[in-house]
Amino acid sequence: MKLYQPFRIAFIVAVLSLAGFTAQAQSVNVIKFDELQKLRNSPTDTLYVVNFWATWCGPCIKEMPYFEAINQQYKGQPVRVILVSMDAAEDLQKVKTFMQRRKIASDVWLLDETDANAWIDKLEPKWSGAIPATMLFNNKRKQYNFVEKELKEDELQALVKQFKP
Amino acid sequence: MKKPILPLMYTFCLLVVGMLLAATPANNTGYQVGDKARDFKLKNVDGKMLSMADYKDAKGFIVTFTCNTCPYSVAYEDRIIALHNKYAPKGYPVIAINPNDVTASPKDSYADMQQRAKDKKFPFAYLYDETQEITRAYGATRTPHLYIVQKQKDNTYKVAYIGTIDDNSRDASKVEKKYAEAALDELVANKAVSQPNTKAIGCTIKWREA
Repeated sequence: MKLYQPFRIAFIVAVLSLAGFTAQAQSVNVIKFDELQKLRNSPTDTLYVVNFWATWCGPCIKEMPYFEAINQQYKGQPVRVILVSMDAAEDLQKVKTFMQRRKIASDVWLLDETDANAWIDKLEPKWSGAIPATMLFNNKRKQYNFVEKELKEDELQALVKQFKP
Repeated sequence: MKKPILPLMYTFCLLVVGMLLAATPANNTGYQVGDKARDFKLKNVDGKMLSMADYKDAKGFIVTFTCNTCPYSVAYEDRIIALHNKYAPKGYPVIAINPNDVTASPKDSYADMQQRAKDKKFPFAYLYDETQEITRAYGATRTPHLYIVQKQKDNTYKVAYIGTIDDNSRDASKVEKKYAEAALDELVANKAVSQPNTKAIGCTIKWREA
């Protein structure tokens, strides 16, 4: 087995770099809170599915494929999935690597704010600050929902179906 | 024939969503500032059961829901130790409580708590809320989540502050607002807490699957 070790490593390296190249060109939109608030007030007839997560958050990573599925499933429809990372701005590269490795296709934002106490209540007073948390809204149709917990796939599907235009 | 299905589907979806929301641990069922906080009897990392009532000289407590696994909790460990070292002599020791269910978060087991307390030389009690009863009663939702309680003349405990430690979880050197310390300084000086509620991003508490 020892003889094959270098080959195995070379193979893994090759696969990893290939995966890196073929992954969708993804960038992280680093934002301040006012941009998040602008999104929250967006008047368009679009269902926004905004998920708050972080690379260090186990339950967030567990539910992420369900958000990716929604993103895929409603392609071409006015449903937009945005994954807002709570990672620190210093960890931007960590977020990018994570997205590449997982081939995340949904929009990813990184909220560059350190003092959550200054903005959480402006966004959603019901939110205690625990992640994962998810917000669904279509302001044109006056639809809004907020859930502070890890979602199962059928739960997220039902939340989206309830509101989808 | 197709048409009646749509309203049915819609009703069904509404029902499912309603059920989901009902199952969600509500944020507002726990204590609010000003409420009386119940005492507890939970197992400390030294193997003994501990209650707030065991501290005869305390004026109150910094009840801190925290755990081994949450990166925010880990980032705040040294600051929780510092809080204890600064305020225990003033009558407000830290009592840390691990709220996480071990099946949902295996690294938050009692043995792991003991190890963590030993490695970090925790100067405060680190209790295990195995049934999650105390966590629910207090209404903690994330780690770390602080409840500063003040002992009353009748030996009950009043919630004086609910929230976070400061305004920068990642970098202690960049902290500008020390929310918990400000509240504690006011309590020690027998003043009303001017900012009794603060929020922070934290790890969701790992509840036992029903």
